[in-house]
Amino acid sequence: MSSAPQLLGPAEARAMQDSSNKVAVLVAGLAGAAAGLVALVVMLLSVRLSVTNAARRLEQPESQTSKVAIADHAEASYCTPRFKEVLRRVLHSCGLADTGTRRGCQPTDVKTFASISDEDFNQLFAPLKERGGVIMFDSGKSDLDQDAKKLLEERWLDRRGARYFFVVARGSRTGTQARNRQLSHERANSVLFFLKELSRDDPDLDKKVGMLWLGKEYAQLSADYCTWPVSRPGKKCDQEAINRSAFVSWVDCRL
Amino acid sequence: MSVASPRLPAVIALVGALLGLIFATTSTVDYAAHLDRRLHEVHCSVIPGAPAKPEAEAEGCRAAMYSPYSAVLKEQFWGGLPVSLPAQGAFAFFAGFAVFLLLAGPRASKTALIFMAATGTTPLLVSLVMFLISVIQLGTICETCMGIYLASLLVAGGGLLGLRALRRSPTDQSEHPTGEPLLALLWLATLALVTLAPVAVYAASMPDHRPYLRGCGKLSKPQARPGLLLSLGGSRPAKAALIVADPLCATCKGVHQRLVQERVLDRLAAEVLLFPLDSECNWMLEQPLHPGACVVSRALLCAGDQTRKMLDWAYDEQEYLVQAGKTGVTALREVIRRRWGDAVAACVDDKKTDLRLKEHLHFAVDNSLPVSTPQIYLGGQRLCDEDTDLGLRFALKELAPEVLR
Repeated sequence: MSSAPQLLGPAEARAMQDSSNKVAVLVAGLAGAAAGLVALVVMLLSVRLSVTNAARRLEQPESQTSKVAIADHAEASYCTPRFKEVLRRVLHSCGLADTGTRRGCQPTDVKTFASISDEDFNQLFAPLKERGGVIMFDSGKSDLDQDAKKLLEERWLDRRGARYFFVVARGSRTGTQARNRQLSHERANSVLFFLKELSRDDPDLDKKVGMLWLGKEYAQLSADYCTWPVSRPGKKCDQEAINRSAFVSWVDCRL
Repeated sequence: MSVASPRLPAVIALVGALLGLIFATTSTVDYAAHLDRRLHEVHCSVIPGAPAKPEAEAEGCRAAMYSPYSAVLKEQFWGGLPVSLPAQGAFAFFAGFAVFLLLAGPRASKTALIFMAATGTTPLLVSLVMFLISVIQLGTICETCMGIYLASLLVAGGGLLGLRALRRSPTDQSEHPTGEPLLALLWLATLALVTLAPVAVYAASMPDHRPYLRGCGKLSKPQARPGLLLSLGGSRPAKAALIVADPLCATCKGVHQRLVQERVLDRLAAEVLLFPLDSECNWMLEQPLHPGACVVSRALLCAGDQTRKMLDWAYDEQEYLVQAGKTGVTALREVIRRRWGDAVAACVDDKKTDLRLKEHLHFAVDNSLPVSTPQIYLGGQRLCDEDTDLGLRFALKELAPEVLR
């Protein structure tokens, strides 16, 4: 064997070298192809596995999904079950919540629907002292003066998260029951008309404002209410004056 | 091994190809994980095999992933087909080819060396384009992408260095065989096939997202009173849209920018419902998530015909505004006054502006919207949160195809 090279001529040696080179290149090519194939297969498997795993997770809802809160109206601490019950009854019965044809509640209605004594009725509104305001009127009148409009606008613009705006109009003990019913009705309407002026482009105003007119026969206010935010601060305020009024306030309750 | 030897360039190319394969696979796996419509951590490092990072530490990679350039055919497939897929195929091919050149050494044909040099530069060219897009369009560089760019550089470098072996040194009597030019065509076809293989596998394995697109709710009372919502006035509006947004919410900014980048915002008759996640004005929160958002929202209500301009400003300057908001409302008001003038500043403090802002919040209540931002409604149909990033174009194609025309 050791003498074999001596037997080969240059051409044969070259041919042998070429042949050996070809084999080496072929082996290298096969090795390269195998390496590439392995890389390709591993990579394709990883792609397939990633996608199918995601698809499987997609079909299985997450076990611990965090619940997102839903937007809702404000709920203040004064919204006791009793308070809400009375308001709900009044709202439904006075036509507001159902957007029915009826608009507002008369004293007798309120008495019936609220099913609550005068004192307890007023007590329900006690937490609204700072939130609301008492719009005061002249004797026998129902038109709003500038101070009344100012306080009303101030209170109306301070809506925050409230859903309903309440207007509770009253009449003083002076005069007949019928006259005071009519007066308190007109006072409530004066407030509503001014609110309509303020919110000319709000078609839903009627769905926000709840009106009650109590005349002189239900839930009269005591002189203590003179210390509430009133439209005529510094002016003479007694039980007569405080009942020639309309109490207004947004109510921060979910009804 | 001398530089003139084809083995060293082959080693360089092999290392580059393997690194590229690792980075591209990492990128694909991260992308594919999101096909389940959930949030996942993403790998974002130039170190191969580094662990995944939470959202705050992977901003660059997430920005790249959510960008319009991360995938193709996004209207046909939810999330599209990530561009890392063909990269995976190409790197696998180059890994195999580099092994071949390494083993063949000086016996490798000229054709093989030229082929490697010519095709090995293509990943680098693509990388260059992607790098420029990252810098110019996104203003950020994804670290995993950077790994791919470096790997591409190595593959191209290896290929080009291999050409040097073709120059015969005076002492070297050997000559690289010419090789069969037809082989180059075969390799090219193989390269094309291997490059497309992962794309085909990915597309064939994808789940159908269509059943999930319409399950995120609707507006129950879509009609707001005229003039209440802020109009963004698209230039060629084709579909009514409501965007529930907080100007200081980072996700809102991201979605807004995505809508702009995807050229979708101009095709929407978009109106904004302001929903600041700030307890100063929003009674639905006990604590402010974005202090100062109420003030910026009021400023937007005072912007008049500059609403879009001011919203863009608020998003562009969001970090600064957030900081000012944390300092206090006074500082924020001053920033607004300096940029938008005394009239807007006075309007911000007007009670009527606050009432209008409350009306926005009440609109959310009337429609029982989730307390979260952003939300997008297309003609009253809510676009799921999961469809506002990767799946945006697919969801639009299904829910509002006119927007994409």
